[in-house]
Amino acid sequence: MPVYNLYMGCSVPANYPNYEAAMMKVAEAYNIQLEYMDGVACCGSPNLRAIDYDGWLAVNARTLAIAEKNGHDIVTPCNGCFGSLKDVYYHLKHDAKYREKINAILKKEGLEFKGTIIPRHFVEALYTDIGIEEIKKKITKPLDGVGIAIHYGCHLLRPEDVTEFKPEYLDELIEVTGASVVEYPLWKQCCGATVLPVDENLGIRLARDKLKSMKESGAKYVTVVCPACGNQLDLQQLGLKESYKEEYNLPVLLYPQILGLALGMDEAEVGLGMNRVPADSILEHLTG
Amino acid sequence: MAETEEPTGPPDTLIDPIEMSKLDHKFREEIHSMPNGEELSACFACSTCTAACPIANIWNYKPHQLIRMILLGMRDEVLSSNEIWLCLTCFQCQERCPQKVRVTDIFFDCKNLAAEEGKVPPTIVGLGKELLEKGQLYTVTADWEREDLNLEPEVPGLSVDPVKDILKETRTGRLVGGGK
Repeated sequence: MPVYNLYMGCSVPANYPNYEAAMMKVAEAYNIQLEYMDGVACCGSPNLRAIDYDGWLAVNARTLAIAEKNGHDIVTPCNGCFGSLKDVYYHLKHDAKYREKINAILKKEGLEFKGTIIPRHFVEALYTDIGIEEIKKKITKPLDGVGIAIHYGCHLLRPEDVTEFKPEYLDELIEVTGASVVEYPLWKQCCGATVLPVDENLGIRLARDKLKSMKESGAKYVTVVCPACGNQLDLQQLGLKESYKEEYNLPVLLYPQILGLALGMDEAEVGLGMNRVPADSILEHLTG
Repeated sequence: MAETEEPTGPPDTLIDPIEMSKLDHKFREEIHSMPNGEELSACFACSTCTAACPIANIWNYKPHQLIRMILLGMRDEVLSSNEIWLCLTCFQCQERCPQKVRVTDIFFDCKNLAAEEGKVPPTIVGLGKELLEKGQLYTVTADWEREDLNLEPEVPGLSVDPVKDILKETRTGRLVGGGK
Protein backbone atom coordinates (compact mmCIF):
# COMPACT_ATOMS: atom_id res chain seq x y z
CA MET A 1 0.00 0.00 0.00
CA PRO A 2 1.59 3.31 -1.07
CA VAL A 3 1.73 5.88 1.73
CA TYR A 4 1.98 9.64 1.18
CA ASN A 5 2.14 12.86 3.13
CA LEU A 6 -1.03 14.66 2.15
CA TYR A 7 -0.51 18.40 1.73
CA MET A 8 -3.89 20.09 1.34
CA GLY A 9 -2.90 23.75 1.11
CA CYS A 10 -5.59 26.29 1.93
CA SER A 11 -7.94 26.49 -1.03
CA VAL A 12 -9.14 22.90 -1.42
CA PRO A 13 -10.26 22.45 2.22
CA ALA A 14 -11.92 25.88 2.28
CA ASN A 15 -13.49 26.02 -1.17
CA TYR A 16 -13.52 22.51 -2.59
CA PRO A 17 -14.29 19.96 0.13
CA ASN A 18 -15.95 17.95 -2.65
CA TYR A 19 -12.53 17.64 -4.32
CA GLU A 20 -10.98 16.58 -1.02
CA ALA A 21 -13.74 14.04 -0.28
CA ALA A 22 -13.66 12.52 -3.78
CA MET A 23 -9.88 12.26 -3.65
CA MET A 24 -9.98 10.51 -0.27
CA LYS A 25 -12.60 8.05 -1.57
CA VAL A 26 -10.64 7.30 -4.72
CA ALA A 27 -7.48 6.81 -2.65
CA GLU A 28 -9.34 4.40 -0.40
CA ALA A 29 -10.59 2.43 -3.40
CA TYR A 30 -7.01 1.84 -4.55
CA ASN A 31 -5.50 1.28 -1.11
CA ILE A 32 -3.57 4.52 -1.23
CA GLN A 33 -2.85 5.82 2.23
CA LEU A 34 -3.04 9.62 2.40
CA GLU A 35 -1.90 10.99 5.74
CA TYR A 36 -2.72 14.62 6.45
CA MET A 37 0.53 16.44 7.19
CA ASP A 38 0.97 17.80 10.65
CA GLY A 39 2.07 21.37 11.35
CA VAL A 40 1.71 22.91 7.89
CA ALA A 41 -0.36 25.70 6.31
CA CYS A 42 -0.49 27.62 3.00
CA CYS A 43 2.21 27.45 0.27
CA GLY A 44 1.93 31.19 -0.30
CA SER A 45 1.04 30.87 -4.00
CA PRO A 46 2.88 32.62 -6.86
CA ASN A 47 1.97 35.91 -5.15
CA LEU A 48 4.32 35.17 -2.29
CA ARG A 49 7.01 34.11 -4.74
CA ALA A 50 6.58 37.50 -6.47
CA ILE A 51 7.06 39.67 -3.40
CA ASP A 52 9.17 37.55 -1.05
CA TYR A 53 11.32 34.91 -2.67
CA ASP A 54 13.12 33.94 0.54
CA GLY A 55 9.90 33.70 2.55
CA TRP A 56 8.32 31.56 -0.16
CA LEU A 57 11.36 29.27 -0.28
CA ALA A 58 11.41 28.94 3.50
CA VAL A 59 7.69 28.19 3.89
CA ASN A 60 7.77 25.47 1.25
CA ALA A 61 11.17 24.06 2.21
CA ARG A 62 9.73 23.70 5.70
CA THR A 63 6.83 21.63 4.36
CA LEU A 64 9.26 19.45 2.42
CA ALA A 65 11.51 19.07 5.47
CA ILE A 66 8.58 17.96 7.65
CA ALA A 67 7.66 15.33 5.07
CA GLU A 68 11.26 14.12 4.91
CA LYS A 69 11.04 13.07 8.53
CA ASN A 70 8.80 10.08 7.75
CA GLY A 71 10.30 9.47 4.34
CA HIS A 72 7.10 9.50 2.31
CA ASP A 73 6.57 11.65 -0.78
CA ILE A 74 4.12 14.54 -0.59
CA VAL A 75 0.97 14.50 -2.67
CA THR A 76 -1.29 17.52 -3.13
CA PRO A 77 -4.53 18.03 -5.06
CA CYS A 78 -3.73 21.68 -5.87
CA ASN A 79 -1.71 22.92 -8.86
CA GLY A 80 -0.70 26.02 -6.93
CA CYS A 81 0.74 24.02 -4.05
CA PHE A 82 2.27 21.55 -6.49
CA GLY A 83 3.94 24.38 -8.43
CA SER A 84 5.29 26.00 -5.27
CA LEU A 85 6.60 22.79 -3.75
CA LYS A 86 8.10 21.56 -7.01
CA ASP A 87 9.76 24.88 -7.80
CA VAL A 88 11.23 25.16 -4.33
CA TYR A 89 12.38 21.54 -4.40
CA TYR A 90 14.01 22.10 -7.80
CA HIS A 91 15.69 25.31 -6.76
CA LEU A 92 17.05 24.14 -3.44
CA LYS A 93 18.18 20.86 -4.89
CA HIS A 94 20.29 22.72 -7.46
CA ASP A 95 21.49 25.70 -5.45
CA ALA A 96 23.70 24.90 -2.47
CA LYS A 97 24.08 28.54 -1.47
CA TYR A 98 20.33 29.10 -1.18
CA ARG A 99 19.88 25.73 0.51
CA GLU A 100 22.25 26.87 3.24
CA LYS A 101 20.48 30.21 3.60
CA ILE A 102 17.02 28.65 3.88
CA ASN A 103 18.16 25.86 6.18
CA ALA A 104 19.45 28.53 8.56
CA ILE A 105 15.84 29.74 8.85
CA LEU A 106 14.48 26.20 9.29
CA LYS A 107 17.05 25.39 11.94
CA LYS A 108 15.06 27.40 14.49
CA GLU A 109 12.48 24.63 14.37
CA GLY A 110 15.09 21.89 14.20
CA LEU A 111 14.26 21.21 10.55
CA GLU A 112 16.49 20.78 7.52
CA PHE A 113 15.72 20.49 3.82
CA LYS A 114 17.72 17.65 2.33
CA GLY A 115 15.71 16.86 -0.79
CA THR A 116 15.06 13.24 0.06
CA ILE A 117 11.35 13.12 -0.80
CA ILE A 118 9.53 14.38 -3.88
CA PRO A 119 6.46 16.62 -4.00
CA ARG A 120 3.86 15.23 -6.39
CA HIS A 121 0.38 15.97 -7.68
CA PHE A 122 -2.27 13.49 -6.64
CA VAL A 123 -3.13 12.60 -10.23
CA GLU A 124 0.51 11.92 -11.08
CA ALA A 125 0.88 9.61 -8.09
CA LEU A 126 -2.29 7.83 -9.15
CA TYR A 127 -1.02 7.48 -12.71
CA THR A 128 2.51 6.40 -11.85
CA ASP A 129 2.15 4.37 -8.66
CA ILE A 130 -1.21 2.67 -9.29
CA GLY A 131 -1.14 2.70 -13.07
CA ILE A 132 -3.83 2.66 -15.73
CA GLU A 133 -4.17 -1.15 -15.77
CA GLU A 134 -4.90 -1.35 -12.05
CA ILE A 135 -7.18 1.67 -12.18
CA LYS A 136 -9.17 0.03 -14.96
CA LYS A 137 -9.75 -3.18 -13.01
CA LYS A 138 -11.94 -1.45 -10.44
CA ILE A 139 -14.10 0.55 -12.81
CA THR A 140 -17.65 -0.79 -12.67
CA LYS A 141 -19.59 2.05 -14.25
CA PRO A 142 -17.58 3.34 -17.21
CA LEU A 143 -18.72 6.49 -18.96
CA ASP A 144 -20.26 6.15 -22.39
CA GLY A 145 -17.59 7.97 -24.37
CA VAL A 146 -18.91 11.44 -23.56
CA GLY A 147 -16.50 14.22 -24.52
CA ILE A 148 -14.52 15.85 -21.72
CA ALA A 149 -12.14 18.78 -22.18
CA ILE A 150 -9.16 18.70 -19.84
CA HIS A 151 -7.83 21.88 -18.32
CA TYR A 152 -4.44 20.75 -17.05
CA GLY A 153 -3.45 24.08 -15.53
CA CYS A 154 -0.20 25.98 -16.05
CA HIS A 155 1.57 25.03 -12.86
CA LEU A 156 0.93 21.34 -13.42
CA LEU A 157 2.58 21.41 -16.86
CA ARG A 158 5.22 24.11 -16.73
CA PRO A 159 8.11 24.67 -16.42
CA GLU A 160 8.41 21.17 -17.84
CA ASP A 161 11.88 20.53 -16.40
CA VAL A 162 10.54 21.41 -12.94
CA THR A 163 7.08 19.79 -12.90
CA GLU A 164 8.02 16.64 -14.85
CA PHE A 165 4.33 16.19 -15.61
CA LYS A 166 3.15 15.06 -19.03
CA PRO A 167 -0.33 15.97 -20.30
CA GLU A 168 -0.73 12.37 -21.47
CA TYR A 169 -1.07 11.28 -17.85
CA LEU A 170 -4.37 13.09 -17.48
CA ASP A 171 -5.50 12.11 -20.98
CA GLU A 172 -5.10 8.45 -20.06
CA LEU A 173 -6.70 8.95 -16.66
CA ILE A 174 -9.78 10.38 -18.39
CA GLU A 175 -9.86 7.71 -21.10
CA VAL A 176 -9.71 4.89 -18.56
CA THR A 177 -13.03 6.12 -17.12
CA GLY A 178 -14.63 5.50 -20.52
CA ALA A 179 -14.90 9.18 -21.43
CA SER A 180 -13.29 10.69 -24.53
CA VAL A 181 -10.77 13.50 -24.40
CA VAL A 182 -11.88 16.51 -26.44
CA GLU A 183 -8.95 18.35 -27.96
CA TYR A 184 -9.32 22.11 -28.19
CA PRO A 185 -7.02 24.85 -29.50
CA LEU A 186 -6.45 26.67 -26.19
CA TRP A 187 -5.62 23.56 -24.15
CA LYS A 188 -2.35 25.03 -22.93
CA GLN A 189 -3.73 28.41 -22.06
CA CYS A 190 -3.98 29.88 -18.58
CA CYS A 191 -7.38 30.05 -16.83
CA GLY A 192 -6.61 33.59 -15.68
CA ALA A 193 -6.75 32.93 -11.94
CA THR A 194 -3.35 34.39 -11.09
CA VAL A 195 -4.07 37.79 -12.62
CA LEU A 196 -7.39 38.35 -10.80
CA PRO A 197 -5.89 40.41 -7.94
CA VAL A 198 -4.27 42.82 -10.41
CA ASP A 199 -6.79 42.94 -13.26
CA GLU A 200 -10.07 41.18 -12.69
CA ASN A 201 -11.51 41.85 -16.13
CA LEU A 202 -8.47 40.34 -17.77
CA GLY A 203 -8.83 37.23 -15.62
CA ILE A 204 -12.48 36.91 -16.64
CA ARG A 205 -11.60 37.36 -20.29
CA LEU A 206 -9.07 34.53 -20.12
CA ALA A 207 -11.57 32.18 -18.48
CA ARG A 208 -14.05 33.04 -21.18
CA ASP A 209 -11.53 32.37 -23.98
CA LYS A 210 -10.90 28.96 -22.48
CA LEU A 211 -14.57 28.01 -22.10
CA LYS A 212 -15.35 29.23 -25.59
CA SER A 213 -12.55 27.14 -27.08
CA MET A 214 -13.75 24.04 -25.19
CA LYS A 215 -17.39 24.52 -26.12
CA GLU A 216 -16.66 25.17 -29.79
CA SER A 217 -14.62 21.99 -29.91
CA GLY A 218 -17.57 19.94 -28.76
CA ALA A 219 -16.81 19.37 -25.08
CA LYS A 220 -19.78 18.35 -22.95
CA TYR A 221 -17.88 18.48 -19.66
CA VAL A 222 -14.65 19.92 -18.33
CA THR A 223 -12.25 18.45 -15.83
CA VAL A 224 -9.76 20.32 -13.64
CA VAL A 225 -7.25 19.30 -10.97
CA CYS A 226 -6.84 22.63 -9.21
CA PRO A 227 -9.14 24.75 -7.03
CA ALA A 228 -8.04 28.05 -8.61
CA CYS A 229 -8.67 26.72 -12.12
CA GLY A 230 -11.96 25.32 -10.82
CA ASN A 231 -13.04 28.77 -9.66
CA GLN A 232 -12.19 30.28 -12.99
CA LEU A 233 -13.92 27.72 -15.18
CA ASP A 234 -16.87 26.72 -12.99
CA LEU A 235 -17.79 29.64 -10.73
CA GLN A 236 -16.82 32.22 -13.34
CA GLN A 237 -19.44 30.83 -15.74
CA LEU A 238 -22.07 32.36 -13.46
CA GLY A 239 -20.33 35.74 -13.77
CA LEU A 240 -20.08 35.46 -17.57
CA LYS A 241 -23.86 35.53 -17.77
CA GLU A 242 -23.62 39.09 -16.44
CA SER A 243 -20.39 40.39 -17.91
CA TYR A 244 -20.55 38.87 -21.40
CA LYS A 245 -24.23 37.84 -21.56
CA GLU A 246 -23.03 34.39 -22.47
CA GLU A 247 -24.08 31.00 -21.14
CA TYR A 248 -21.79 28.05 -21.54
CA ASN A 249 -23.54 25.42 -19.41
CA LEU A 250 -20.34 23.41 -19.26
CA PRO A 251 -20.26 21.41 -16.03
CA VAL A 252 -16.77 21.36 -14.49
CA LEU A 253 -15.76 18.32 -12.46
CA LEU A 254 -12.71 17.71 -10.34
CA TYR A 255 -10.97 14.65 -11.75
CA PRO A 256 -11.53 12.37 -8.72
CA GLN A 257 -15.26 13.05 -9.01
CA ILE A 258 -15.29 11.53 -12.48
CA LEU A 259 -13.17 8.54 -11.51
CA GLY A 260 -15.20 8.10 -8.30
CA LEU A 261 -18.46 7.90 -10.25
CA ALA A 262 -16.92 5.37 -12.64
CA LEU A 263 -15.89 3.35 -9.59
CA GLY A 264 -19.53 3.15 -8.59
CA MET A 265 -19.67 5.90 -5.97
CA ASP A 266 -22.87 7.86 -5.70
CA GLU A 267 -23.17 11.56 -6.39
CA ALA A 268 -23.24 12.51 -2.69
CA GLU A 269 -19.97 10.69 -1.99
CA VAL A 270 -18.15 12.78 -4.58
CA GLY A 271 -19.97 15.96 -3.57
CA LEU A 272 -21.48 16.57 -6.98
CA GLY A 273 -24.10 18.91 -5.49
CA MET A 274 -21.39 21.48 -4.70
CA ASN A 275 -20.35 22.03 -8.32
CA ARG A 276 -21.52 25.49 -9.40
CA VAL A 277 -22.69 24.66 -12.91
CA PRO A 278 -25.06 21.74 -12.26
CA ALA A 279 -23.15 18.56 -13.09
CA ASP A 280 -25.78 15.90 -12.30
CA SER A 281 -26.31 15.16 -15.99
CA ILE A 282 -23.02 13.23 -15.98
CA LEU A 283 -24.87 10.43 -14.16
CA GLU A 284 -26.79 9.75 -17.38
CA HIS A 285 -23.48 8.96 -19.07
CA LEU A 286 -22.56 6.17 -16.65
CA THR A 287 -23.02 2.66 -17.99
CA GLY A 288 -22.74 -0.77 -16.44
CA MET B 1 6.39 54.32 -58.35
CA ALA B 2 8.67 57.20 -57.58
CA GLU B 3 8.70 58.84 -54.17
CA THR B 4 6.63 61.98 -54.35
CA GLU B 5 7.12 63.32 -50.84
CA GLU B 6 10.35 64.20 -49.11
CA PRO B 7 10.45 62.80 -45.54
CA THR B 8 10.00 65.51 -42.94
CA GLY B 9 10.92 65.32 -39.24
CA PRO B 10 12.48 62.38 -37.44
CA PRO B 11 11.55 58.85 -38.53
CA ASP B 12 8.71 57.06 -36.72
CA THR B 13 9.92 54.82 -33.93
CA LEU B 14 8.11 52.05 -32.15
CA ILE B 15 9.25 53.14 -28.74
CA ASP B 16 10.42 56.36 -27.17
CA PRO B 17 14.12 57.12 -27.60
CA ILE B 18 16.23 55.57 -24.87
CA GLU B 19 17.98 58.00 -22.55
CA MET B 20 21.48 56.55 -22.53
CA SER B 21 22.60 58.42 -19.42
CA LYS B 22 19.85 56.81 -17.37
CA LEU B 23 20.84 53.24 -18.15
CA ASP B 24 21.99 51.09 -15.28
CA HIS B 25 24.63 48.78 -16.66
CA LYS B 26 24.68 46.71 -13.51
CA PHE B 27 21.03 45.71 -13.91
CA ARG B 28 21.77 42.80 -16.22
CA GLU B 29 24.34 41.44 -13.76
CA GLU B 30 21.85 41.86 -10.94
CA ILE B 31 19.24 39.76 -12.74
CA HIS B 32 21.89 37.38 -13.99
CA SER B 33 22.87 36.55 -10.42
CA MET B 34 19.29 36.01 -9.27
CA PRO B 35 17.45 32.66 -9.22
CA ASN B 36 17.19 31.23 -12.73
CA GLY B 37 18.63 34.38 -14.28
CA GLU B 38 21.79 32.78 -15.69
CA GLU B 39 20.44 32.33 -19.21
CA LEU B 40 19.36 35.97 -19.55
CA SER B 41 22.12 37.04 -21.93
CA ALA B 42 21.40 34.15 -24.29
CA CYS B 43 18.34 36.08 -25.55
CA PHE B 44 18.65 36.89 -29.25
CA ALA B 45 15.40 38.86 -29.37
CA CYS B 46 13.48 36.47 -31.60
CA SER B 47 10.26 37.41 -29.73
CA THR B 48 8.97 33.84 -29.51
CA CYS B 49 8.14 34.62 -25.87
CA THR B 50 5.86 37.42 -27.01
CA ALA B 51 4.18 35.16 -29.56
CA ALA B 52 3.56 32.62 -26.79
CA CYS B 53 2.14 35.11 -24.28
CA PRO B 54 -1.68 35.08 -24.16
CA ILE B 55 -1.86 38.69 -23.04
CA ALA B 56 1.11 40.37 -24.75
CA ASN B 57 -1.39 42.19 -26.97
CA ILE B 58 -2.34 44.42 -24.04
CA TRP B 59 1.21 45.01 -22.82
CA ASN B 60 2.98 48.26 -23.71
CA TYR B 61 6.29 46.50 -23.20
CA LYS B 62 6.15 43.00 -24.69
CA PRO B 63 7.98 40.13 -23.00
CA HIS B 64 10.91 40.17 -25.45
CA GLN B 65 11.17 43.92 -25.04
CA LEU B 66 11.31 43.60 -21.27
CA ILE B 67 14.16 41.12 -21.60
CA ARG B 68 15.95 43.50 -23.97
CA MET B 69 15.32 46.39 -21.56
CA ILE B 70 16.96 44.37 -18.78
CA LEU B 71 19.97 43.73 -20.99
CA LEU B 72 20.19 47.42 -21.86
CA GLY B 73 19.94 48.47 -18.23
CA MET B 74 16.50 50.13 -18.21
CA ARG B 75 16.08 49.31 -14.55
CA ASP B 76 13.51 51.95 -13.56
CA GLU B 77 11.28 51.29 -16.54
CA VAL B 78 11.24 47.53 -15.94
CA LEU B 79 10.77 47.65 -12.18
CA SER B 80 8.07 50.33 -12.41
CA SER B 81 6.19 48.58 -15.19
CA ASN B 82 2.71 47.23 -14.65
CA GLU B 83 3.53 44.38 -17.03
CA ILE B 84 5.61 42.39 -14.54
CA TRP B 85 2.58 42.28 -12.22
CA LEU B 86 0.19 41.35 -15.02
CA CYS B 87 2.30 38.31 -15.90
CA LEU B 88 0.05 35.27 -15.59
CA THR B 89 3.01 33.12 -14.55
CA CYS B 90 1.73 30.57 -17.08
CA PHE B 91 5.31 29.83 -18.21
CA GLN B 92 4.38 29.61 -21.90
CA CYS B 93 7.10 32.14 -22.83
CA GLN B 94 9.67 30.19 -20.86
CA GLU B 95 8.58 26.87 -22.31
CA ARG B 96 8.99 28.05 -25.88
CA CYS B 97 12.20 30.07 -25.62
CA PRO B 98 14.66 28.49 -28.07
CA GLN B 99 17.54 29.90 -26.02
CA LYS B 100 16.26 28.46 -22.74
CA VAL B 101 15.93 31.89 -21.16
CA ARG B 102 13.77 31.43 -18.07
CA VAL B 103 11.56 34.38 -18.97
CA THR B 104 8.80 33.84 -16.38
CA ASP B 105 11.35 33.17 -13.64
CA ILE B 106 13.17 36.38 -14.60
CA PHE B 107 9.92 38.34 -14.27
CA PHE B 108 9.60 36.85 -10.76
CA ASP B 109 13.10 38.17 -10.05
CA CYS B 110 12.04 41.60 -11.33
CA LYS B 111 8.98 41.57 -9.05
CA ASN B 112 11.18 40.77 -6.08
CA LEU B 113 13.49 43.69 -6.93
CA ALA B 114 10.47 45.96 -7.34
CA ALA B 115 9.10 44.70 -4.02
CA GLU B 116 12.41 45.52 -2.32
CA GLU B 117 11.79 49.11 -3.42
CA GLY B 118 8.19 48.96 -2.20
CA LYS B 119 6.75 48.98 -5.72
CA VAL B 120 3.97 46.40 -5.30
CA PRO B 121 0.30 46.72 -6.31
CA PRO B 122 -1.78 47.28 -3.15
CA THR B 123 -3.89 44.15 -3.79
CA ILE B 124 -0.76 42.00 -3.76
CA VAL B 125 0.43 43.63 -0.53
CA GLY B 126 -3.05 42.73 0.76
CA LEU B 127 -2.41 39.06 -0.01
CA GLY B 128 0.91 39.32 1.82
CA LYS B 129 -0.98 40.73 4.79
CA GLU B 130 -3.39 37.78 4.75
CA LEU B 131 -0.46 35.37 4.79
CA LEU B 132 1.27 37.28 7.55
CA GLU B 133 -1.80 37.54 9.77
CA LYS B 134 -3.58 34.26 9.03
CA GLY B 135 -0.86 32.00 7.68
CA GLN B 136 -3.04 31.16 4.71
CA LEU B 137 -4.92 32.77 1.84
CA TYR B 138 -8.19 30.87 2.40
CA THR B 139 -9.71 29.86 5.72
CA VAL B 140 -12.43 27.25 6.19
CA THR B 141 -15.68 29.03 6.99
CA ALA B 142 -18.35 26.57 5.83
CA ASP B 143 -17.26 23.67 8.04
CA TRP B 144 -20.71 22.06 7.76
CA GLU B 145 -19.97 21.46 4.08
CA ARG B 146 -16.93 19.47 5.12
CA GLU B 147 -18.91 17.51 7.69
CA ASP B 148 -21.60 16.69 5.12
CA LEU B 149 -18.85 15.01 3.12
CA ASN B 150 -17.53 13.10 6.16
CA LEU B 151 -14.44 15.30 6.39
CA GLU B 152 -13.10 16.75 9.62
CA PRO B 153 -14.58 20.25 10.12
CA GLU B 154 -11.07 21.64 10.68
CA VAL B 155 -8.28 20.70 8.30
CA PRO B 156 -6.32 17.99 10.12
CA GLY B 157 -2.76 19.04 10.96
CA LEU B 158 -3.22 22.70 10.02
CA SER B 159 -0.81 24.94 11.91
CA VAL B 160 -0.58 28.55 10.78
CA ASP B 161 1.82 30.03 13.34
CA PRO B 162 5.09 28.71 11.87
CA VAL B 163 4.23 30.25 8.48
CA LYS B 164 3.43 33.57 10.12
CA ASP B 165 6.67 33.42 12.10
CA ILE B 166 8.76 32.85 8.97
CA LEU B 167 7.10 35.66 7.02
CA LYS B 168 7.47 38.15 9.88
CA GLU B 169 11.23 37.89 9.43
CA THR B 170 11.35 38.06 5.65
CA ARG B 171 10.33 40.73 3.14
CA THR B 172 6.60 40.09 3.62
CA GLY B 173 6.89 41.41 7.17
CA ARG B 174 8.70 44.52 6.00
CA LEU B 175 6.28 45.17 3.12
CA VAL B 176 3.13 44.75 5.16
CA GLY B 177 4.57 46.47 8.23
CA GLY B 178 5.72 49.41 6.13
CA GLY B 179 2.17 49.98 4.98
CA LYS B 180 0.89 50.60 8.47
